[in-house]
Amino acid sequence: MTAPLPNPGKKYDLDFARWVYDNVNGGDKMALCMQCGVCSGSCPIGTNMDHGPRKLFMMIRAGMQEAVMTSNTPANCTSCYRCVVRCPRSVPVTYILQDLLAKQAELGYRAKDSNENIAFAKSFWWSARAFGRTDERLVTAKYYWSFGPAEFWKRSMENLKIALGFIKKGRMHIGMPHSVKDKKGLKAILDKAREIESRG
Amino acid sequence: MPVDGKEAGPASQTILVVGGGIAGISAALEAAETGHDVVLLEKGPSLGGRVSKLNRYFPKLCHPTCGLEINYQRIRKNPRLKVLTMCEPTNVAGSRGAFTVTVKRHPRFVNEKCTSCGDCAAATETMVPNPFNYGLDKVKAAYLPNEHAMPMRYVIAPEAIAEGEGDKLKAACKYGAVEPEQQEETFDLNVGAIIWATGWQPYDPNNLDVYSYSHSPDIITNVEMERLAAHDGPTQGKIVRPSNGEPAKKVALIQCAGSRDNNHLAYCSRICCLGSLKHAAYVREQYADAEVDIYYIDIRAHDKLESFYQKVKADPQVRFVKSKPGHIRVGEDGRPFIHGERTIDREVYDEPYDLIVLATGMQPSAVAGYTPQVGLVKDDYGFVVPKELEDNEGIFSCGVAAGPLDVSLSVQSATAAALKAVQAVRQSA
Ligand SMILES: Cc1cc2nc3c(=O)[nH]c(=O)nc-3n(C[C@H](O)[C@H](O)[C@H](O)COP(=O)(O)OP(=O)(O)OC[C@H]3O[C@@H](n4cnc5c(N)ncnc54)[C@H](O)[C@@H]3O)c2cc1C
Ligand code: SF4
Ligand code: SF4
Repeated sequence: MTAPLPNPGKKYDLDFARWVYDNVNGGDKMALCMQCGVCSGSCPIGTNMDHGPRKLFMMIRAGMQEAVMTSNTPANCTSCYRCVVRCPRSVPVTYILQDLLAKQAELGYRAKDSNENIAFAKSFWWSARAFGRTDERLVTAKYYWSFGPAEFWKRSMENLKIALGFIKKGRMHIGMPHSVKDKKGLKAILDKAREIESRG
Repeated sequence: MPVDGKEAGPASQTILVVGGGIAGISAALEAAETGHDVVLLEKGPSLGGRVSKLNRYFPKLCHPTCGLEINYQRIRKNPRLKVLTMCEPTNVAGSRGAFTVTVKRHPRFVNEKCTSCGDCAAATETMVPNPFNYGLDKVKAAYLPNEHAMPMRYVIAPEAIAEGEGDKLKAACKYGAVEPEQQEETFDLNVGAIIWATGWQPYDPNNLDVYSYSHSPDIITNVEMERLAAHDGPTQGKIVRPSNGEPAKKVALIQCAGSRDNNHLAYCSRICCLGSLKHAAYVREQYADAEVDIYYIDIRAHDKLESFYQKVKADPQVRFVKSKPGHIRVGEDGRPFIHGERTIDREVYDEPYDLIVLATGMQPSAVAGYTPQVGLVKDDYGFVVPKELEDNEGIFSCGVAAGPLDVSLSVQSATAAALKAVQAVRQSA
């Protein structure tokens, strides 16, 4: 179990950085960050993050615990590892973000604008569970649908051209979704995983 | 003075200096002017090292040729100092007072009768990449190393001999100075003390693959920028875009290109911030409407040089962008774009430029070259330092061979090394 935040509820808490160093995987290495900006400048979806890794690390040092624990930066990281490869100080940025995300969930925090992420994760896992595969068409459709029919229509139309392009180049499959052979076995594995996770 | 110093008996009083850059020249002169015999080995065809390839010096923007010329005068006047160019050590054995140094001499194909009339250059048809301009242009294969070479003597590139031009060049020289038959040779020197001043090489920009050096001629390094701005450089001093020769009016300078980076050089090279401030001044001097952006982590204007930083900063057309760029991409129009995050306001930018200069750091020459096993050790980065700091082992280092120093610090360290070398030979006398 992770140690609870030292002083939850405080907007600024100077013990928070210490908590991150001690509890977050790779957090101790964060002390080496020199705020150069290579990580956030290299991130392929950096503009979709509220803060980006560099600023998030500065906020941790500044003790801005509420803002950090409700930041969407950890959830939006795609684990491409560009920042880890390029960081001049060998800070394991991706690992830190991944574990911060886990800690946010574990301690009951949620990114303030996480509806998109949650909807996408639900669609993704629905497909993974149902077929043992992620079917882009179904994942996307289900994801768009979670925002209502009007939004579904709008977003689908926006992406129609891309989808047609994919199909033309043989990049998107048409027909029944691909599936693993042993769906029952897959379900048993996932159920077991869930059970282990719930043991804490 | 006998070159081999053998007459000096078992305890040699001769001091050997390896490397004829500003550090080696200074150490050799200081030692010789105290009355000691000194041999200065330089592997290239001329003294001067990297400094001779700089356009101007920070912070005063004066010309390095001036300081070099004063030193060359001192060398010419000093009979105790013997300069051997085209020479590098391949082995060092022995100990204080009795070192034996094996030296390899590369053929120059031109002897001391050369008057630098240039008839050999007129006769050759072979062209080679110009080493003085970091290969930015080509030069005749029989060439003067540079305008103010020391010694003022031509050199013939092995390529011309390989092309079979030897006899033709020999016939072209009316002073009998061309010797195509010269071969590489090896000889020994006996010396009492050694100063290692082999300097540095620019960090290879191809290692920084995210900065796309090899993808655009308009992405250059800081040492190339020095040549671009120099009147004896490939463009006669005009700062232009190498791709099309047009004036470079929107210029980016990227700091710590390789330095302060665990993936490359883990240390701060100390001089490149000031080097780039100087480059901003070069550009602004040439074009009243030019804009220069300096991308930096933090500006390190060491020592008393902060005032130079303040001076450049006062220019509204020089912008300081606090950001280490993520990468450089080449746009569809061929212009390079810098991509990254401004750390002050967290804006992600993607800016096009006419010319991008990578402020690559200084890497000690010892990472590639020979370093004696006796008396010296390489530190984690390849800088050479004495094994025993307390005991005087008779072998020392100075200049950038010893650490990332600017010229004035290199000269200070050279004087210190000369003093220690003088003490070493006196102690063993
Ligand atoms: C872009 C840039 C701009 C700079 N501008 C300035 C400036 O404006 N002002 C300033 O103070 N400093 C400046 N510097 C720093 C300056 O170049 C160095 O301080 C200086 O070159 C150090 O001189 P050195 O003699 O130690 O080394 P070097 O200049 O590298 O000289 C070493 C010499 O040793 C020779 N050599 C190497 N290996 C061997 C061997 N095995 N055997 C024999 N000979 C060998 C080399 O051929 C060379 O001639 C700048 C650096 C850079 C990168
Ligand atoms: S790249 Fe590394 S040192 Fe630079 S800001 Fe990001 S974590 Fe810090
Ligand atoms: S001098 Fe400046 S550019 Fe060079 S390594 Fe140090 S901080 Fe970076």
